[in-house]
Amino acid sequence: MSALPDINDDLYIPQMGRIVETYPMTQREKYFRLELDRPLGHRPGQFVMVSIPGVGEAAISISCGPRDDSVLEMVVRHAGNVTGAMHRLEAGNYLGIRGPFGSGFHLEEFEGRDVLFVAGGLGLVPLRSLITPIMRHHERYGRIRLISGARTPAETLFRDELKAWNALPNVEVIELVDRTDQLPWDGEVGLVTAPIARLDLDPARTLVALCGPPVMYKFVLMELGMHHRIPREQIFVDLERRMKCGVGKCGHCQINSLYCCKDGPVFRYSTVAALPEALA
Amino acid sequence: MTAFHDAAPAVFDWLRGLARDAEVWFPQPAGSANFNFERVDAHSQLSFEGYRPSIVPPVKRLLPAREVMFEFHKDADGRYAFQQKPDAGLRVLAGVRPCDLKGIAEMDVAFADGHADPLYLRRRANAAIVAYACPHPCDERCFCGSTGAIDFRGGADVFLTPDGLTPDGDALLIEAMTPRGEQMLANAGLKVCDDAKTIRERALARRPQPFGRQLKATPEALPAILAAAYDSPVWDKYAERCYSCTTCNLVCPTCYCFEVQDEFDLDGQSGCRTRTWDACMSPAFAEVTGGHNFRAETAARHRHRVKRKFEYLTDKYGMGSFCTGCGRCGRQCTVDIDIFDMVNDIVEQAGGNAR
Ligand SMILES: Cc1cc2nc3c(=O)[nH]c(=O)nc-3n(C[C@H](O)[C@H](O)[C@H](O)COP(=O)(O)OP(=O)(O)OC[C@H]3O[C@@H](n4cnc5c(N)ncnc54)[C@H](O)[C@@H]3O)c2cc1C
Ligand code: SF4
Ligand code: SF4
Ligand code: FES
Repeated sequence: MSALPDINDDLYIPQMGRIVETYPMTQREKYFRLELDRPLGHRPGQFVMVSIPGVGEAAISISCGPRDDSVLEMVVRHAGNVTGAMHRLEAGNYLGIRGPFGSGFHLEEFEGRDVLFVAGGLGLVPLRSLITPIMRHHERYGRIRLISGARTPAETLFRDELKAWNALPNVEVIELVDRTDQLPWDGEVGLVTAPIARLDLDPARTLVALCGPPVMYKFVLMELGMHHRIPREQIFVDLERRMKCGVGKCGHCQINSLYCCKDGPVFRYSTVAALPEALA
Repeated sequence: MTAFHDAAPAVFDWLRGLARDAEVWFPQPAGSANFNFERVDAHSQLSFEGYRPSIVPPVKRLLPAREVMFEFHKDADGRYAFQQKPDAGLRVLAGVRPCDLKGIAEMDVAFADGHADPLYLRRRANAAIVAYACPHPCDERCFCGSTGAIDFRGGADVFLTPDGLTPDGDALLIEAMTPRGEQMLANAGLKVCDDAKTIRERALARRPQPFGRQLKATPEALPAILAAAYDSPVWDKYAERCYSCTTCNLVCPTCYCFEVQDEFDLDGQSGCRTRTWDACMSPAFAEVTGGHNFRAETAARHRHRVKRKFEYLTDKYGMGSFCTGCGRCGRQCTVDIDIFDMVNDIVEQAGGNAR
């Protein structure tokens, strides 16, 4: 073959991260704060591959905004082998980390714009990496709206932060649950699609970021299309696929011609609108 | 670059000589007219007689069915140390057909793209390739003459061209293609030849025309035809009888998807992470946590496989189709699902011939 490209021999080798704080957020989700050997240097919307050697590796979103220290925040749902084993770990234990991987969001593009976030369930976790830096400097942005939905009050995440953000000028946070399950609830009841129609959005100024379970996208996009003429280039979707390598090699995450791990997981809607497998 | 012209037995002597210092792999009979690339030694019987494409393509010597990505060991603190053992030996793949040569070149590009894959590329860098120009279509399944792979010459260190129709009885043209090829041939004692071009062109001109089965559209025309055939009934027609056994993926020279698995040693402190071949025809391939499957239907998986070969990767890398036309998937499928037929059905349905 012709000249070898630059090869990173450590592509598949994790670095060690020490768990400095972890606690359950809900029955299924656990928060993790890790201290790495070096800063991650990530963009919002990127992800890492988390390893427990002997058990395996899973793609997990970076939940904190870009930062200079070596901290990594994640929220993990108990879903199988790796995530289950993560739920058994405590502070002082180590995890393997590869990344950051994927496209992510570019913060500069959001400056001076109105922003609408729509988060369904665990979708708030990756979006938080974009929400946090935007809320910190909310004065640099226009109107900021955040719709966050959970199935029941017991499954809500980061409520303190949602309330603190809601108190900021020019920020409106709408919290919803599908059903209250007879638990106390001071937000709205309904699906994340419900408030979209009533929002007063300026299509020219607004950027939208969506993340949630596969079924959510179609309905949110339909609602947005019906009530607000926001160009597809201004809408970002954060998609989930099965990922085994995170670096565009194993083929598992392919969405038609695109690799979710490399070309995504954050895509402009204009990029994926024509791909039948993207939002199916 | 130097060229030689000599009898086939002299070439086989040269290959057996190489086997003294390096791992040499050569297509060997594997029962019922099948072949497989096997490691040969200084005494192995070598021949191109009846050589049909090996069941497993030679590129999979560079991407083994199972390989260790790294080993790990847990220390007293609970931190892990990781260690990679590079596969460093020189390996000669000899008797590689043009279709398989193109398969290797396509794997090279896919593994080098973006995050370069160290495991494949390190092994590839240590692999020398002795290619073998096919004098005639290997059987009724191959269609390399229609994908263009038949004339592919990139990536070979040495090229063997049989100078006639009966390979063993005849002479072979032996061309060094790279400095490494030169070096491999340096002390071979083969007869030097100075009119390689004439001999090669004469040999190639003797090939039957058309060469093997012909697709009804060119590799250049297929991406657009397939892009328009997303909802074609052709996918269902083939899916109906498919077992999703994944054989078609496993034998394909341009399928490289993998699964990752960890193994623990009995001491509970160390182990390794391995990768093994995986297959987009496997029902759970695109299933995510929560059970949503992005290609739950067999037809959707067939469509993905075919579009990957003839549309997605063709568009992405500009190397022509990622199906070389080796015919393996059709040859090995127990229910006779041949990608050649699928593609031709799609072309026909789109209005016929686009050659
Ligand atoms: C970009 C990205 C970001 C993500 N971010 C987060 C995050 O921030 N937090 C989070 O909790 N999760 C996140 N996920 C999801 C997470 O990666 C998966 O839940 C995780 O990989 C599950 O791994 P596991 O080993 O725990 O489960 P596994 O043991 O792999 O099983 C999980 C489920 O996957 C399916 N499955 C697995 N293997 C097979 C198989 N062989 N055959 C059939 N079905 C199978 C099953 O439905 C099973 O219930 C993200 C995923 C992606 C792609
Ligand atoms: S080899 Fe044949 S039966 Fe098996 S998955 Fe491929 S097409 Fe289906
Ligand atoms: S798709 Fe079939 S014919 Fe084409 S390269 Fe793969 S195995 Fe060969
Ligand atoms: S996760 Fe392996 S290719 Fe994307």
